[in-house]
Amino acid sequence: MNNNMEPPVTASLETSLGPMALEHPIINASGTFDALVADAVLAADLFEQFPFAAYVPKTVTLQPRAGNEPHRLYETAAGLLNSIGLANKGIENFIAEDLPRLAELPVPVIASVAGENTADYGRCCEMLDSRDEVTAVELNISCPNVELDGKALGCDPVRTEKATALARAATSKYLVVKLTPNVTDIVELAKAAEAGGADCISLINTVHGMALDPWTLKPALGHTTGGLSGPAVKPIALRAVYIVSRALDLPVIGMGGVTTAQDVLEFLAAGASAVAVGTASFRDPLLATRLAGELRDLMEIRGISSIAELVGSA
Amino acid sequence: MDAQLIPASLFDCPVVESRPVGAYRLISFVAREIAALARPGQFLMVRAAGQKLDPLLPRPLGVHEIDSDLVKVLIEPVGRGTISLAGMRVGDRLSVLGPLGNGFDMTGEGPAIVVGGGIGAAPLAFVARSLSARGRDVRCLLGFRSRGQAVVAELFRNLPVEVYTEDGSMGKKGLVSAPLSEMLCALDGTDSFSNNTSSAGDFPSEASSAETISGDSASSDDENSCAADTGMFPEIFACGPDPMLAAVDRICRDCGANAQVSVAAHMACGVGACQGCVIKTVDGYRRACSEGPVFPSTDIEW
Repeated sequence: MNNNMEPPVTASLETSLGPMALEHPIINASGTFDALVADAVLAADLFEQFPFAAYVPKTVTLQPRAGNEPHRLYETAAGLLNSIGLANKGIENFIAEDLPRLAELPVPVIASVAGENTADYGRCCEMLDSRDEVTAVELNISCPNVELDGKALGCDPVRTEKATALARAATSKYLVVKLTPNVTDIVELAKAAEAGGADCISLINTVHGMALDPWTLKPALGHTTGGLSGPAVKPIALRAVYIVSRALDLPVIGMGGVTTAQDVLEFLAAGASAVAVGTASFRDPLLATRLAGELRDLMEIRGISSIAELVGSA
Repeated sequence: MDAQLIPASLFDCPVVESRPVGAYRLISFVAREIAALARPGQFLMVRAAGQKLDPLLPRPLGVHEIDSDLVKVLIEPVGRGTISLAGMRVGDRLSVLGPLGNGFDMTGEGPAIVVGGGIGAAPLAFVARSLSARGRDVRCLLGFRSRGQAVVAELFRNLPVEVYTEDGSMGKKGLVSAPLSEMLCALDGTDSFSNNTSSAGDFPSEASSAETISGDSASSDDENSCAADTGMFPEIFACGPDPMLAAVDRICRDCGANAQVSVAAHMACGVGACQGCVIKTVDGYRRACSEGPVFPSTDIEW
């Protein structure tokens, strides 16, 4: 450190999650970046030059879902409330229509599934187990907008463990469980997922929230309440990553308000092995094309040469 | 109407003009590619360039006018995003994604009535000019709450515009639905469109508009149709608040005329990824950003 002539550090961004070797630690959060839409609508080559190190498609369910009543979106201070309600084409259509095309992506695909009950998670994983296009499965047990039987399954450690165990029994693929922050003790839920056989924990899903229309003073969202994302939730997410990654031996995918390379750096330091970009892609669909390079710059400025050196260093 | 014919790109655009137009603000920025590609009824996702995270997301704005390399949008400052955009001044830079959405189907023939309400009038200036440039006789019915909004009609220079205000402070008093209804349903099998409108001397006669009705409307078997098979109905292009669009739909159904309506919705991505901007249609929820924003009025569940 005293030597001004010290050669510059060359930072490597390579990292891995289980069987997935990742070129860099930045992936997308489910439902916020659509590789097929980006390929069709945007002029930039976001398919062959895919900006994320792995691709997580929007969550699918056993049956197609129309989603929630509009309005589904409402912007709040540095945040976005949504109540999409898991609108999706259903897992069969996803497998038939989307997977063949997604197989052409230059990165691994982490399919995201949700269920109305614990058994659904097993059935979804069973259907994906034979699909070579899918490297990993993320169990979305934490969507706040589909209270099918009272509350998100991911609020209950017993059902969290059971859903994970049924999924574990149905597939040998790398299994990620995505947790909700809308619980008293998120570590308890993370341990339940670990006990059920999860390989990895991702967090956080959106934070329960609500907005009123400023003129009518009625709920701004058709579903009354929704999930908050964006920079406003970053401190909540960072804390969740920090405490869960310290309490468990499993790798963690951190997300929640990630908007800059500095945010990525902080989530890695807090304990995430990979970091997902969500709402920020709505703000700038090309953001991800710059983040990895900016992360490398930040690491080199700080003399950090590898992701492993950074993870959990906070 | 294929939204995917023209890929959208993200541009950093300098503002070269920013001026108030009544209650609204007119912003012009340099965007050569968008100016070259954008079609009437398409929209842009616009926010202040830079790192400021509040407001967070871009806002969908219809293209109001294209002038060489300049793109013009009109902003109604009503929420956190639009208030921020209305504060943009010459020299400020905008982050602009576009062009997006399907735009209006401009391939029809014959006379056209452009029906706008409030800020919804903004994109219709581009529509009306394009229709006019295609040799179609265009008539604009613009409705506003009061004079503060209605001065936007000035931006329709050289176009035949009739202004209506709810409080009568500018133009005629009342809603645009009344004159629209009069224009369409006063028609019958023997009278031409132009003969039934007081100020439409530039509209074609029955003979020259004989092909107005497209194949789509041939299926109309509405018993209430006044002149559905006479081939002289103008085509309606509408944008404005939902109650106005619903009224346009009702009037056009009653008369057997075709209406294309541009709907508004809160958006996040603007490209079809987030599923946030859906509207209720006869085929279920559809995304305003990528399957619209323009729909046949009969597709929407009002």
